[in-house]
Amino acid sequence: MTPILFAFSSAFTLGLTGLVFHRVHLLSALLCLEGMMLSLYIALSTWSLGMGSASSSALPLFLLAISACEAGAGLAILVATARTHGTDRLQSLNLLQW
Amino acid sequence: MAYFVYLFMVGLVLGMAVVAVNLSPYFAAFGLVVVAGMGCGVIISFGGSFLSLVLFLIYLGGMLVVFAYSAALAAEPFPESFGTTGAVLYFMGLVGVVGVFAILYIEEGSGLGGCSSDEVMGMSSCVTEYDGMSQMYGPGGFLLVLCAWVLLLTLFVVLEMTRGSSRGPLRSVK
Repeated sequence: MTPILFAFSSAFTLGLTGLVFHRVHLLSALLCLEGMMLSLYIALSTWSLGMGSASSSALPLFLLAISACEAGAGLAILVATARTHGTDRLQSLNLLQW
Repeated sequence: MAYFVYLFMVGLVLGMAVVAVNLSPYFAAFGLVVVAGMGCGVIISFGGSFLSLVLFLIYLGGMLVVFAYSAALAAEPFPESFGTTGAVLYFMGLVGVVGVFAILYIEEGSGLGGCSSDEVMGMSSCVTEYDGMSQMYGPGGFLLVLCAWVLLLTLFVVLEMTRGSSRGPLRSVK
């Protein structure tokens, strides 16, 4: 395994660990998701740069656009949750009454 | 120069560990800033200057500002930082596990991968990226327009989602 492969795969795994094990705030979960997308961006970039293939080096930009959509939708959910529940703690999302 | 690349990679993993420890969201946002900066360094040391610029401008300048702004929604009176509730131990544990896997799985002398070692006049010789960027506007134009439409759709999704308590998808049922 080359060092860059290990670096971004361990960064992805660390983000996944944070997403799975600690879900106190919704914003923390979103930040972990963003970190995973960032490691995927680095993976795609270094892959296309390492392969030296021209046409695949536009792929990280498309990934970044989709990632921006995901971040926008997630932050919209965060704002809506903070409005209706008054907090962004994930425990308050399954309350039936507030 | 290769030591810089290793520095960036170690910073990438350490910043991601800070995000994964899940302190208060402020500190996680700071960790993500570190990860984005180090990722820029990694990409630029592989010869992708334009991709690194895009990551820096869009990610650090655009998205993380919004994340830092919405950290105000997660405000709490006693933010959990390093030094409380054994976060340092958890951080050390994560980094230790990653270090053990690094010793086990990184083959010695495997190089960096990529073409960062080829240098012409001190600069990287990977220039295929610019061909790809121009191809994005030509043969890849359909995907480009599709991504623009997806972003526009996201705008309406966000507007509907934050509409408020009366008609939004997330509202109090009365």
